[in-house]
Amino acid sequence: MKDPRQLPPDRPVTLSRRKMLERSAAGFGLLGLMNVLGQTEPDDKAPGHPAPRAKRLIFLFLNGGPSQLDTFDPKPHLKKMEGKHPEGELYKPSKATGFLPSPFAFERYGQSGLEVSETLPELAKEIDDCCIVKSMQTDVPNHEPALLQMHTGNIQPIRPSFGSWLMYGLGSANQNLPGYVVLRPSSKIVVGPALWSHGFLPAKHQATSIDTSDLRIDKMLTDIQNKRFSLDEQREQVGLLRKLNRLHRSQREKDSVLEAEIESMETAYRMQIAASDAFDVSKEPAQIREQYGATSFAQSCLVARRLVESGVRCTVVYYTTKSNQPWDTHVDHDAKHKKLCRDSDRAAAALIRDLRSRGMLDDTLVVWGGEFGRTPYSEMRQKDKGPGRDHHHTAFSMLLAGGGVKKGFSYGQTDELGMNVVDRPMHVHDFHATLLHLMGINHTALTYRYSGRDFRLTDVHGSVAHDLIA
Amino acid sequence: MYLFSTNDFRFVPRPYAIGCWAFGMCCFLLGWNQALPEKSSARNYIDRHIESVAGERQLSLVPEADRNVLIRRLSFDLTGLPPDPEWYRYPARPNGTIESLVDTLIASPHFGERLASMWLNVARYAEDQAHQVGNNVEHFYPNAFRYRQWVVDAFNADLPFDRFVKLQLAADRYSFARDEDLPALGFLGLGPKYYQRGRLDVMADEWEDQVDTVTRGFLGLTVACARCHDHKYDPISTEDYHALAGIFASVELVNVPYEKSKTKSEQDKEAKQQNTIHIVRDAKIRNLNVFIRGDVERPGPAIPRRFLSLFYEGTPPPFSEGSGRRELAEAIASPDNPLTAKVFVNRIWQMLIGQGLVRTASNFGALGEKPSHPELLEELAARFKAQGWSTKKLVREIVLSAAYRRSSEPHAAGDDLDPDNRYLWRMNRRRLPVEMWRDSLLSVTGNLDRQGGRSLELNDPANRRRTLYGRVSRLKLNTLLAHYDYPDPNIHSGGRTSTTTPLQKLYLLNNPFVAEQAQDFARRLQQETADDLERIRKAYRYLYFRMPAEEEERLGLEFLLADQSDSSHWDRYAQTLLISNEAFYLD
Repeated sequence: MKDPRQLPPDRPVTLSRRKMLERSAAGFGLLGLMNVLGQTEPDDKAPGHPAPRAKRLIFLFLNGGPSQLDTFDPKPHLKKMEGKHPEGELYKPSKATGFLPSPFAFERYGQSGLEVSETLPELAKEIDDCCIVKSMQTDVPNHEPALLQMHTGNIQPIRPSFGSWLMYGLGSANQNLPGYVVLRPSSKIVVGPALWSHGFLPAKHQATSIDTSDLRIDKMLTDIQNKRFSLDEQREQVGLLRKLNRLHRSQREKDSVLEAEIESMETAYRMQIAASDAFDVSKEPAQIREQYGATSFAQSCLVARRLVESGVRCTVVYYTTKSNQPWDTHVDHDAKHKKLCRDSDRAAAALIRDLRSRGMLDDTLVVWGGEFGRTPYSEMRQKDKGPGRDHHHTAFSMLLAGGGVKKGFSYGQTDELGMNVVDRPMHVHDFHATLLHLMGINHTALTYRYSGRDFRLTDVHGSVAHDLIA
Repeated sequence: MYLFSTNDFRFVPRPYAIGCWAFGMCCFLLGWNQALPEKSSARNYIDRHIESVAGERQLSLVPEADRNVLIRRLSFDLTGLPPDPEWYRYPARPNGTIESLVDTLIASPHFGERLASMWLNVARYAEDQAHQVGNNVEHFYPNAFRYRQWVVDAFNADLPFDRFVKLQLAADRYSFARDEDLPALGFLGLGPKYYQRGRLDVMADEWEDQVDTVTRGFLGLTVACARCHDHKYDPISTEDYHALAGIFASVELVNVPYEKSKTKSEQDKEAKQQNTIHIVRDAKIRNLNVFIRGDVERPGPAIPRRFLSLFYEGTPPPFSEGSGRRELAEAIASPDNPLTAKVFVNRIWQMLIGQGLVRTASNFGALGEKPSHPELLEELAARFKAQGWSTKKLVREIVLSAAYRRSSEPHAAGDDLDPDNRYLWRMNRRRLPVEMWRDSLLSVTGNLDRQGGRSLELNDPANRRRTLYGRVSRLKLNTLLAHYDYPDPNIHSGGRTSTTTPLQKLYLLNNPFVAEQAQDFARRLQQETADDLERIRKAYRYLYFRMPAEEEERLGLEFLLADQSDSSHWDRYAQTLLISNEAFYLD
């Protein structure tokens, strides 16, 4: 049997960390594929890598784990099983009151006839541009490890995030803005910066995380403007700073962190012009802002669209409210789910429409999902409140749109109760492999040598779900 | 020597706990007075361990750092402030040894501030709450600074760490505690108060915070994981969790008068509030029932308040004195407790070396990382206890080791074998924590106000006190702190991540505080000497503790002479030096 740890023989030569840092120090802007594989334009196919279908990624991350059973994976059989207790070792009936059918009506929409819950009427209208993955799986039904796995492939907090891998592989498409941006409508995200960390990759591949709770430019990007010096005066200053920092670095063995500090200063200088524009949703026509909706999450989606338009490679928008994981509906699930959907539905649909009308949907991959799903059975945590749904990691849904995925397509299937996947499982590793593939990267060939071995986003796992690629 | 003396508590590792390294007791200490190996770079016992592990891994150790690099490193590490420029000629002075410099720094009142800035994150120190209803400040802690001051003073007085633990958990229950020690209870008393407290499930969340802060902070154990189910990896049951939570359920967070007001007229509401401290006291004593799967509506059997069973053979004895805080403190601060000393010396190691011997400083359990040098950790902890739990002695031993003095410059062979420098073949290059960088700015401009006391806002440019004395908010963390990786003060933190983002740089380029410090730095240099070159040299010495290279002098002069009609050149030059990488990094 083939050893799954063996990398395929056609793996391109990976330069050692030292070599790459030397290259970087020699003035190459990017460490990743564009350099290593001689690729000049990001839409060129690099040898050993698939042709890119998407140039940009927007991940709408619904913190807490949205319910697949009340959105994209209807399970009418739950009605017949209502109140019955699930079987199997994993599903000990604790405070469970048994299976809980969704109270929401599902209908078929569009040409594709895909079923969508009534809680997502706007996304339902766009379903012909979307691909529903019903067979997602992750390893652990706890928030922290599941969040880490969805972001880094690993349940421990030391690995690079998928966005950092993309940056490492593809580089930034705009030198005037950070290439990887995290938008969080509140200051607290469970796990925190480890979710968008560069891990052992060079430090410049980490995300820039922006608090979008106040959308005014000088609140999102404090100190975006100098009150005393003109940009020309600052240019001289930043020029001197660059020279001094390079002298400082040249006297030290190549250090990716010092390199990142230097690049980040230059990005900051250029951001003063570029970011004031790119981040400023007030420059959008009123009717566009209105289409997205007024909430923090909705307006952050609009910021994300402006960012990808300006060449930001990877944007993650977190859906948090005052609660740091609002989709974690252990109590009063139905009412909460309905309310959460109303907001995210409108914003996500507006984003898809907006990208389409600008001709950007085809090469922008939009992902909608969380760290896991919710159980088909209920739990009662508070007697005076409605039942909730617990964490469910063995079968949950994600929605993809644009970026080379099949339109109006449904991938994978779960059993009639939604407990497990019965067809074409999509483990987080497979999801990452597919995501990289769509972005033009062979996930087995994007490696980084660290501590004596080659690391990948997908570790030794992952297979590309070719079936969902258009 | 009272290495293994016991008091009320006798810990016997249970069979399954023996397998986990963290619960072991040192048994190889017989050789701890042995001579250092000849022909080695070792300076003290620490190096014996470092050399032996590096030898096993065929890692060659780099030489010690240049003296001025070392002085700068020591000054920041021990006081959080840049070195006195006068020390630049330090070796030439009588008795100007590194040892005497270390003694001076450790005796400085800034030593306590440096240590406190580490400890306050362990204690999730903050002055308000994550939730605020309307303008209600009822649950805020305007006098939290008194706890902070107590921590600073305790480290400056080299309060033995076992007493440091005891006072923070039960200052009200010890006869050796002075009145001035009561603010120590802020460790518990400044805990988060959640929205709708009073509801049982909300209070259960608050107890969880206390259990979490105490157990991760002092013991390196993630006991709060066992709230809903037995710990998945460590021998900690949900009964253990509730036995500890019961202690905190028997305690209330209160604001009590600190200094008695002298006259009646002073006893108006405001004066009273000014004089309170935020501490804990025993309330109605209760044992908790196990909340099955963490559900307060599903009480299981009642669990007596007691310590964790993994330390005992059989069930630990129940606590009987009030809430049991004193008994808890005794159990944690006992010299027989195999974890407390190790966890603390590892925190100190992490602070001084840049990474812990155990890099998961607050998790010594099965999911934590194993120590890179287990025997060194044991010996550090054993000596720490034998030397009366003295933090100052511990710090002194570490910074006088060759390991600490080593250069941070890597070599290729080491980088290939051990890129993370896990085995300490070199010193780590470190970015200054935000507090130190801000303090160093104020210090080189001559603006630093060395007072402590009540907190000031950090975004007020007129605030020139040390960053430690800035207000820390759970509701809205100050932007500077948030940009520069200050941990979320809502929960215990065992260390900081270090991010590099353009937002940090925007602050450096454009924030009025930075601009103002730059101007003041320029003014200072201009006042001290009329010659541009001399000014440049002074600036390098003040900021980087070295002389500029010729190239650096040339670049500086070029920039300054570019347009002499423009008086802002010196301001911009000064700012450039203040925000350069070198100002942020310790070699």
